[in-house]
Amino acid sequence: MTASRTASRTASPAASRYDTALGWGWGRGRPLASTTRLVLYALVLLVFCGPLLAVLTGAFDRTPDPSQMSLIPRHLTLDNFEIAGERGLWTYLRNSLVITGGALLLQVGVTVFAAYALARHRFRGQALALMVILATMMLPEEVIAIPLSLVLGDLPGLGVSLRGTLLGMILPMGGWGFSIFVLSEFMKEIPVELEEAARVDGAGELRIFGQIILPLCKPGLGVVVIFGFNMIWDQYLLPLIVASSPDQYPLTVGLQLMRSVPEVGVGALLAGALVALVPSVLVYLAFQRTFLSGLTTGAVKG
Amino acid sequence: MRTSRGLSAALAVAGLTVLTACGSGTGSSSGGSSDGSLEVWSRSSPVTGAVYKKIFAEFTEETGVKVEYTPILDNFEQRVAEAATARDLPDIVINDSGMLGTNVSQGLVQEVDRDKLKGSADLLDRAWDQAKAFDGKYYGVPFNVQSFATFIRKDWREKLGLKQPRTWDDLTALAKAFQTKDPDGNGKDDTYGMLVPASTDRGYASWWAASYLWQGGGDFLTESGDGKYVPAVDSPQSVAAARWMQDLFCEEKVVVPGALTLQTKDAHEFFSSGKAGVYMTGPYMVGKYDVDLGKKFEVIASPAGPGGQATLAEGENVYLMAGSKLQEQQRRLAEFLISPKGQKIGLNSTRPEPPVRLSVNKKVDTVAERGGDARWKMFVDEFNAHGRYTPNVPNWQPFRQKSGETLNGLFARCDADPKAELTKLADEFKQELETQKVYGG
Amino acid sequence: MTAGTGPSTTRGSSAATGLGPTHSDPGPPPPRPGSVTSVPSARRVRLRRAVLPWLFLSPALLLFLYFKYLPMAKGINLSFYKVQPFLGDQWVGLDNYTRILDEESFRRAFGHTVVYAVAQTAGAILVGFVLALLLEGRARTLWFVRSAAFLPVVAAVAVVAEVWRLLYFPGQEGMLNSLLSWFGSDAQRFLDDPDQALGWVIVVGIWKNAPYDMMIVLAGLASIDRQLYESAALDGAGLVRRLRHVTLPALRPVVTILLTLAAIRGMRVFTEVYILTGGGPAGSTDVLMTRIYDLGFRANDLGFASACSVVLFLLTLVLTGGVTWYRRRKELS
Repeated sequence: MTASRTASRTASPAASRYDTALGWGWGRGRPLASTTRLVLYALVLLVFCGPLLAVLTGAFDRTPDPSQMSLIPRHLTLDNFEIAGERGLWTYLRNSLVITGGALLLQVGVTVFAAYALARHRFRGQALALMVILATMMLPEEVIAIPLSLVLGDLPGLGVSLRGTLLGMILPMGGWGFSIFVLSEFMKEIPVELEEAARVDGAGELRIFGQIILPLCKPGLGVVVIFGFNMIWDQYLLPLIVASSPDQYPLTVGLQLMRSVPEVGVGALLAGALVALVPSVLVYLAFQRTFLSGLTTGAVKG
Repeated sequence: MRTSRGLSAALAVAGLTVLTACGSGTGSSSGGSSDGSLEVWSRSSPVTGAVYKKIFAEFTEETGVKVEYTPILDNFEQRVAEAATARDLPDIVINDSGMLGTNVSQGLVQEVDRDKLKGSADLLDRAWDQAKAFDGKYYGVPFNVQSFATFIRKDWREKLGLKQPRTWDDLTALAKAFQTKDPDGNGKDDTYGMLVPASTDRGYASWWAASYLWQGGGDFLTESGDGKYVPAVDSPQSVAAARWMQDLFCEEKVVVPGALTLQTKDAHEFFSSGKAGVYMTGPYMVGKYDVDLGKKFEVIASPAGPGGQATLAEGENVYLMAGSKLQEQQRRLAEFLISPKGQKIGLNSTRPEPPVRLSVNKKVDTVAERGGDARWKMFVDEFNAHGRYTPNVPNWQPFRQKSGETLNGLFARCDADPKAELTKLADEFKQELETQKVYGG
Repeated sequence: MTAGTGPSTTRGSSAATGLGPTHSDPGPPPPRPGSVTSVPSARRVRLRRAVLPWLFLSPALLLFLYFKYLPMAKGINLSFYKVQPFLGDQWVGLDNYTRILDEESFRRAFGHTVVYAVAQTAGAILVGFVLALLLEGRARTLWFVRSAAFLPVVAAVAVVAEVWRLLYFPGQEGMLNSLLSWFGSDAQRFLDDPDQALGWVIVVGIWKNAPYDMMIVLAGLASIDRQLYESAALDGAGLVRRLRHVTLPALRPVVTILLTLAAIRGMRVFTEVYILTGGGPAGSTDVLMTRIYDLGFRANDLGFASACSVVLFLLTLVLTGGVTWYRRRKELS
C-alpha cells in the first residue's frame, strides 16, 4: 500500500485528526461518527463488490430463468458449470490460458530486451527507436481493427494467414509500448557503477544483463508481468477479429454464447463469468503491492 | 565478445522462430482446396451441423469428393466478409437467400446455369426465385424454404381458458392474458406475452415485422412495372400495421423486456424457459421446443390481420463461391444437396433442428419425411398459401437494415409517430432505390 | 522510479523520459571509462555497440511493424478506396471522408462517443475522489475496504459488461429492479429505454473506473503535507474550505492528466457497448467503434470503415498532442 505507507511517514506517530483530508474522528467517544462510517463502508462494499458477489453465488445457484440472479443462493448446485462446460466453457478457458500464457511470455521477453537496449545503451537512432515504440500506444487494436484483420489474414511478405489461430491472438500482444517504457524507466534507476564494475571484471553483455540488470529491476518486472497479464486477459476485440469459430474463443468472447440456457437460466453465464474472474482476482490479491505501486507512482510523479 | 556474438546469434534465432512460428501455425486455416476437398460453410448451430455432416458423408461416399465442413452460428457474415477480403473464400456457402444481393453486388458468388444443373427441374419454381438476382440470372441454388408460424404455450392458454387466436385482436388479448394473469400459476408476476427479437443487428426487427406488415395490408415497396419499385412503407395500411406493432410494445406492453436489443440466438430460450407465451418463428424451432417443452406448446398459422393472412417466405441457398478451383465439385455438391436423397437426409426426422426446413424438391414430401407431423404440414401450407418473399431489388440488405432501424426506433420511443417515421423511411427507401437504379417513380 | 499511469501515450514525446535530446542525433557515444581496456580493436567495439542495441530491439520492432505500422499504413491506404476484393478496388479519393460528414448515423455515434468519454471520465474521477476521501487512512478495515472496492478494475471488461447486462434486466424480476422495488421505485427499463441507455452504459464505465481513480487520488492525498491541514484548522477553516484550498490544489496535476488520458481512452470504447447494447436501442448507444465494427465486419464496407478508423486515430492524436503541449507548457512555467 504505497498510499498508507507514505501517509505514515509524514503523519505524527499517533493517529491525529490531521491524518486525512476529511479529518474524521474514529473510535471511543464518537459512536455516531463511527457508525456512520461503518454504514458508508458497507455501502461502498455493496456497490463495488455486490455485483461480483452476485456472480459468485449465482454461479452455484439454480434459477432456471434467463433473467434472475440474486445475492442469496436458494438451491446450491454445480449444474451450472456442467452445462457451461457443454457450451464450451473449458475450451474457452483453455484458449484463454494458452493465449495469456503465450502472449505474456513473448511480451515479457520482448520487453526485457527492448527496455535493456533503451535504458542501458546509447546508440545512433535511439530517439527514433523510442519514438517508434511509444507511438504504438496511439495504435491500440480498436483504431486499427479493420486493417489489422486484413494483415492477419495475409501477413505481408510472408504469405501466411494467422486467422483462426491462437497465434494470431498471441503475436499482436507480443509488443506493448507501455511495458517497454515502464521497464526501461526501472532499468535506468540502476547505478551505472555496478555495470562498470562488472565490465572491469570481464563480464560480457549477457552476464551483465542476466546477473545484474534483471535481478535489480525485479519490481519493474513485477509491474510488467501483472499489467501484461491484465491487458491480455482483458482482450476482446482482437480474438473477435481473429477467431474463425467458437473453438478459438477465449473466455471473454465465449461468455456471450452462454447467455441463456433453458436448464439453468443465467447460471451458465455466471459460472463462466466466475471462471473468467478468478484468475484476475487471484493475481491482483497475490501481487497487490506491485500492482498498486505500478499504478500510483507514475501518476503522482508524472 | 564471445558472449555478445553468442547473444546476437541467439537473438537472430529468436527472430526467426517468431517468423517460422507464423508459418507453422497457419496450415490449418487455409482453404481446403489444396488437397482437393471442398470447403463448405453453413450458418448453423452444431446440432444442425451434425446433420449436414451426414449429408456430406453420403456425398463423399457417392462421388469420392471430400468435404471439409464448418458450421458457424456466430457472426457468420463477418466470417464470410473476412474470407472475401483475404480472397480465400470457402468453395460453398449455405446461407440465407437474403444475402443474395450482397453476395452478387460484391462479386462473391458465381452465376449458376439453372438448365445445366442436374435435377434442377425437380425444384419448386418459387424456390428458384430466391436464387434469382435482379438481372434475371441465378447466383445460387435453393436448398430449403421456410415460412413462419406462431408458437404458443398451449398449457398456459388452456389454463386461462382461451381459444387459439384467429385475428390480431385475439392475439393481442392472448398475449395480454399471458402477461398479466399468471399463466404459469407460480403466484409471481414474471411472465410476458410476446417474444420479439427486435434488435437492429442484421436487421432483425425488420425481419420479424415483415409478416405483420403484410398481414396489415402494408408493404415495403410496390413494383411499378418493368422491375422498378416505389416505396410503400408509408401507405396508410403500412402505418396502421406499424402502429399496431408499436402498441404491442408501448400500449399493451406485452413484449419481453430487453426485446429491443435481443438477437434471435439469445431469444429462443425466453420461450422454452417459460418467460414468454407467444413467439413467431420458423419450423427449425419445432424440434428444439419438442425437447425443451414437450407437449406444452402448439404451433398455429399466424392469425390474420386487417389485410388477411401472410407470412415471410425465405430460404437458404447453396452459393458457389468465387475464386474456387473446384468448379466441377462445387456443382456436384449442389446437385447432391438438392437431390431427393440429399434433401431427405437434411429433413431427417429424428433430429431436432434439420438443415432442410421445407424441401425445395417436388419429389420429396416434407411432411412424410417429418413423420406426418401436422405442424410441418401447416408450415408447408403457409408457405404455399400465404408465403411472401421480400421484393426482388438488386440488394435487399440495405432496405432490411434501414427498416429495421426505423422499426426498432418506433418500438423504443413510444412517443414516436409511426406516420412521420415511416414517411422518413420511405424517403430513405427512395434514395436507396435510386442508388440501386430501380426507382420507378 | 517512474511508471506510466496506464497504457498511455503522452509521456512518449515528453522530454521527461530523460533519454537525451530528441531533436538531434546523439552521435557515437563517448566510450565508457574502464570498459575499453581489454578490447583488441576499438573499431569492433564501436560497431558492436552500435549494432547490439538494435538486435535487442529487433523483436519489439518487428512485432510493431507487423501488427501496428503495417495495419495503420494499410488502413490509410484503404480509406481512399471502395474495397471489393473480387471485383477490384476502386479509387474514390476523399469520397469516404466526405461520406463521414454526410452520414447522420456517424455524426450521432460521434456525439455519443464524446458524451460517453466526458461523462464517464468526469463521473469516475468524482466518485473516485469521494471514495478516496472516505477511505483514506491507515486502519486495517480501510485497507480491506479499499482492496475490495478495487476489484472492478481488475475484472475483464467483457465480464463486467455481461454481468451488468444481467443486473440491468428490464423486467421487474431483474436484479437492480428488485433492489429498486425495496425502495418503492417502479421498474426501470434501463438499456431498453433509448433516452437512458447511454446513461446506464456510462454508469458501468464509472463503476469500473472509479476505484482506479480512487487509488490515484489516494496516492495524491498521501503526499499532502499534514501540517497544511493543521494550520488550516488553526486558521479556523472548515472542512469545505480545507478541501477547496488545501486538498484540491495539491491534487490538480494528478487529476488533469488522469482526466485527459481517461477521456482519450473513452473515445475508443467498444467492448462495454458491444456487449451491453450492441449500439441499440434505436441507435441510442452507438459509438464510433461499434459503428466502425458494423461497417467493417458486418456491412463489409472496408474502405469507409477504414476512413472512420483514420478519423478516430486523428482525434486521439490531436487530443494526445494537446495534452503533451499543455504539459510541456506547465513544466516550463
